[in-house]
Amino acid sequence: MSRQPDADVLVIGSGAAGAAICSRLAGRGAKVVCLEQGQWVDRTRLPKSHLDWEVRGRRYWAANPNVRRWPADYPVSSEGRDPIDIYMYNAVGGSQIGFAGNYWRMAPSDFKVHSLDGVGADWPFDYEELAPYYAINEAEVGVAGLAGDPCGPPREDLPNPPAPIGRPGQLLVNAYEKLGWYWWPTEQAITTRAYRGRPACDNRGWCTFGCPQGSLSTADLTYWPGALENGVDLRTQARVREIVLGDDGRALGARYYDQDGVVREARAAVTVVACGGLGTPRLLLMSASPSHPEGLANSSGLVGKNLMVHVQSFATGLFEEPVDGWNGTWGGTVSTRQFYETDPARDYVRGFIMSGCRGWSPLNLALQIAPWGSGHHHAFDERINHEISLYLCGEDLPQESNRVELDWSHLDGFGMPGVVTHHELNDNSRRLGRDMIAHAHQVLEAAGAKSVRDFGLAPIWGWHLLGTAKMGEDPRTSVADRFNRAHDVPNLFIADGSSMPTSAGVNPSATIQALALRCADHIWESRRDYDSGRSSQIR
Amino acid sequence: MAYDRKQGEHQVAQSSRPDYRLEVGRAEVPVGAPRGFVVLDPARAATLRAWTATLIPKYGRRPDAGSVGAAEYIDATVHLVPSIRPALIHAIDEVERLAHEAVGRAFVEADAEEREGLLRRLQALDGDAFSMVSDFTYEAYYGHPDVLTAIEAENGWRGNAPMTGSSMTAFDASRLERVRKLPPRYRAVESSREVKG
Repeated sequence: MSRQPDADVLVIGSGAAGAAICSRLAGRGAKVVCLEQGQWVDRTRLPKSHLDWEVRGRRYWAANPNVRRWPADYPVSSEGRDPIDIYMYNAVGGSQIGFAGNYWRMAPSDFKVHSLDGVGADWPFDYEELAPYYAINEAEVGVAGLAGDPCGPPREDLPNPPAPIGRPGQLLVNAYEKLGWYWWPTEQAITTRAYRGRPACDNRGWCTFGCPQGSLSTADLTYWPGALENGVDLRTQARVREIVLGDDGRALGARYYDQDGVVREARAAVTVVACGGLGTPRLLLMSASPSHPEGLANSSGLVGKNLMVHVQSFATGLFEEPVDGWNGTWGGTVSTRQFYETDPARDYVRGFIMSGCRGWSPLNLALQIAPWGSGHHHAFDERINHEISLYLCGEDLPQESNRVELDWSHLDGFGMPGVVTHHELNDNSRRLGRDMIAHAHQVLEAAGAKSVRDFGLAPIWGWHLLGTAKMGEDPRTSVADRFNRAHDVPNLFIADGSSMPTSAGVNPSATIQALALRCADHIWESRRDYDSGRSSQIR
Repeated sequence: MAYDRKQGEHQVAQSSRPDYRLEVGRAEVPVGAPRGFVVLDPARAATLRAWTATLIPKYGRRPDAGSVGAAEYIDATVHLVPSIRPALIHAIDEVERLAHEAVGRAFVEADAEEREGLLRRLQALDGDAFSMVSDFTYEAYYGHPDVLTAIEAENGWRGNAPMTGSSMTAFDASRLERVRKLPPRYRAVESSREVKG
């Protein structure tokens, strides 16, 4: 193999993690190539650039790739007792282009789940080790919020003030004060004031349908501009077929189809896989070879196993008075971690958050509750602008039977397999979910709701796809080591949500990006190790 | 989003399961744009317009769905997605068949109560096609500027807020006075060992 590498580091995937890694490494002087199967989002086509944004959000912006069918989307099937409605995007910025911006740090106990509660797994490092990277990342993306929440360790001030909580937030604060519970303004990856060249949020709401203002901190707006300035070679519409290994068992790079459908290879001293909780195991399993017959980096047999999605629901309270539910960032009100930590008095371990949202938008609400015919408007009028919703998110413990596998019966445009997920909520998750929903009713009733409806535990919303290539100390029970390096391939890193050993009970974007920065720093700081590799050029 | 789906009727979108909701994903049909009928002949177009007006009738300042172009929106959608075209045309013909059978005249000539009854019969006979027309009608209605303007006038819901935004009001941190005084509520851990509750 005499061919010279294209780069020091090859990153596959340009989403939340891939963008952070590219930016961090390029900022330090590494030569980086990034392969992204999707394209840049045309911001003029963001749903929320149009008055009929709700309709566009159900069609070409639909979060489920089976509906949206962008050229880069691959087939995803969902099986199991509790099948997952998959929500992900294949584009520059990855699934963050459709996220709501809720941006949480995990708690210290989240890193020691097995030691503390006898379930799940411990992470191979502590909160304190990730905390500096949380802070770096929060500064990079311009997180809005307030330091001082007693439900988390002391921390730095956040770069931007909290988003306006509006009437829904005020009602929820009243409820929490009445109940005597902990609460705090929800941290959001939203620039609530002009920040690093990005404009201040102006309360357009419905953040998951795109932010034409550019205040929602999606990776295409946060990390990518700087990464490109620092010379990252971002190749879009690059469909990676497999990781290519050298005779010595080290990764040479990746084989992919370029935008013209021409097969190519990109080579580097280090290869990083950051394709998300489904895409990462898909690529590793597609990279099976005689030396890795069960898939690359899969000597543990755990690639694709332990798929976690969180126990999630919504509860919606109906109020007598108008609540201005149209006004403000979707998730930017207040949250409680009153029930976040394990409590021996409850019949389950681990816990959950409750985050206040706004009201349901007209089309969404009508589809939910307004029957067709003569009763339509009465049902609609009773609830529009009179409802507040709570987003509920609890920890989903890892179990090997929840998994993602290659689906050779559904191929993409290059004959590469789709994936099939298998998922079932375990008993702990069901008990946690029931308690979570019951407490949500309690909050909304304390806020003055005259009635409360909830969404139960089905369908399983697949926004957070985690755990399918977990980190750990033991190569027999994990795929990657404490620095996200594959146990089986010394210059291959797995650095996205798939590497999380447990899900915690909060939205994972902040953790995914902090992990990515930490991984990037490790690659940089250990670059001499890769210099000894035959193909390395890291300076 | 999945929470659009009515409880009990939800099916996870599958690559392997034919579903109009999957088929229309790439059909971009801006709501409210001026358009005529492309697929439907005048008679079927009239039936569909009356159908959509029955699904969402006029109320207060709000027009019925037929008068804001819901039928034309559905026609444009099936024009872009031929795989769902047969289901629509067949369902329209079925409505007419039911109308002549049950009330002895065309669907458009039936009164409001009769139309509802006929559509309920169709819903029982061909739930998929009925749901398709119903979902598309809701889309065309609640994405339309005239409807959003009327909702704001009657309910105070600002449908154009995503276009215009609003002022940012600073969070009143004094509301946190009680919570700030509460003891820490997280488990601090050290070296894999719990050190305080």
